[in-house]
Amino acid sequence: MKNLKFEHRITVLYLILGLIWILFSDKVLGIIFWDINSLTRLQTLKGFFYVIITAIFFYFFISKHLTKLRNTESELEKHKNNLVELIQEKTKNLDEAIEALSNTNSKLNEKNKIINKKNAELKKTLKVLKETQFQLIQIEKMASLGILTAGISHEINNPLNFILGGLTGLQDYIRDENIRDEKVELYLNSIKTGIERATSIMTGLNQMSRASENYREPCDLHAIINNSLLITKGELKGSIEIKKHFSDTPIIIPGNVGKLHQVFINLIVNAYHAVEEKGSITITTGITNNNAVITITDTGCGISKDKLSKITDPFFTTKEPGKGTGLGLSITYNIIQAHKGTIKFQSTIKKGTSVTIILPAKFK
Amino acid sequence: MRKVKILYVDDEAINLMLFQANLEKKYHVLTAENAFTGLQYIAEDKYIKIVVTDMKMPVMNGMEFIRKARLIAPEIAYFILTGFEICDEIQEALSQGIIRRYFRKPFNIQEISREIEDTIAEFSDGCDEKNAN
Repeated sequence: MKNLKFEHRITVLYLILGLIWILFSDKVLGIIFWDINSLTRLQTLKGFFYVIITAIFFYFFISKHLTKLRNTESELEKHKNNLVELIQEKTKNLDEAIEALSNTNSKLNEKNKIINKKNAELKKTLKVLKETQFQLIQIEKMASLGILTAGISHEINNPLNFILGGLTGLQDYIRDENIRDEKVELYLNSIKTGIERATSIMTGLNQMSRASENYREPCDLHAIINNSLLITKGELKGSIEIKKHFSDTPIIIPGNVGKLHQVFINLIVNAYHAVEEKGSITITTGITNNNAVITITDTGCGISKDKLSKITDPFFTTKEPGKGTGLGLSITYNIIQAHKGTIKFQSTIKKGTSVTIILPAKFK
Repeated sequence: MRKVKILYVDDEAINLMLFQANLEKKYHVLTAENAFTGLQYIAEDKYIKIVVTDMKMPVMNGMEFIRKARLIAPEIAYFILTGFEICDEIQEALSQGIIRRYFRKPFNIQEISREIEDTIAEFSDGCDEKNAN
């Protein structure tokens, strides 16, 4: 019975009750009452009785069921209300959480911005540090080079002095004794040329490594370029022709003699390395609008466009490991900047490179 | 005419020998191997007109020597020789008139000789009165 639905139960119950009533009510009445008249009267009452009994029965049955239903309904309603409240509360909580999150998010965004800014600053600082470090290395290197060359030049200059003094004495002696011999003349001249060349190398080395920070020294550009060519002669290989198109008058500009030597030595050595075997290097000088303009053009291998913008970066090199430090042009660029000048590179692959330096020529 | 007296100070014996050998025909050359001997010569010999000294010498360098020598004999013309590039110390001495000129080593004796001639010529112009006595 319990597994049946309410409407089935009630129908089954009604059918059973009705059947029992129909089957047994007359027999029961026949046992109790013998009188036919009484039985006929009771027959009418029996109908009423049945209705009343079933009505009472159904009332309790249905009312029990309905009470149960109503209870369930009210409980449901209660649950529903509870749920609504719960949802509202949860929604409110969620909204709060979302607001809190968005606050956190905006804070995070701000922090992110600060971090990005700091990051950029750090990158900049790192770059400055790297440059400073490289400059320090450079200064240190130049200082030790300066001490070394000054020491060597002093030590070499004394024996050179002996040779020159001895030569002067010999020349005087030959003149006084009236010795006329072509061979003697040749020997003496060879010694003289040797001394002169050694002396000019020593002078060049000394000037190159001069530890001075003065940018107002009078600098004879032609002398500095010639000196740089002389000092770098050892790097010259193959058949490289040097063409000098110097202005007729000397160009004297304010600057630092040692550092300008470094500039031209770097550029000349680079040109040598670019040409390698056969080709030419042309050096042109001139004055325009109170500026000295120097161009060094080689017929070498050239530099590709993507590399051209990087060649003045510290430690950038196209040379094989051990052959270049990647510092030469960076130093050159810094020195030109310190002279308030400009340096520009133009290059075509396999045709060559042209470097143009413009330096203020006016003494203030 | 008597030869002009010149003092040359250098710690390199060969330099002293060569300087003397090359210039002894024209001048009376005295040589000293260090600044102290040089100072002694100047103090003892009043006829020294010209002093040429090396810059780099042990114990007392050329510039210190000249500054001390000038206290004894300010009328002498001083020259300095250096194996180095011109330094601030020499530049200063030049602009103050403490030295007349500086020469780079290896030095050209003819050039030094010319400079000495010029100096002597200046001296005799200014010293005519003295010579008249």
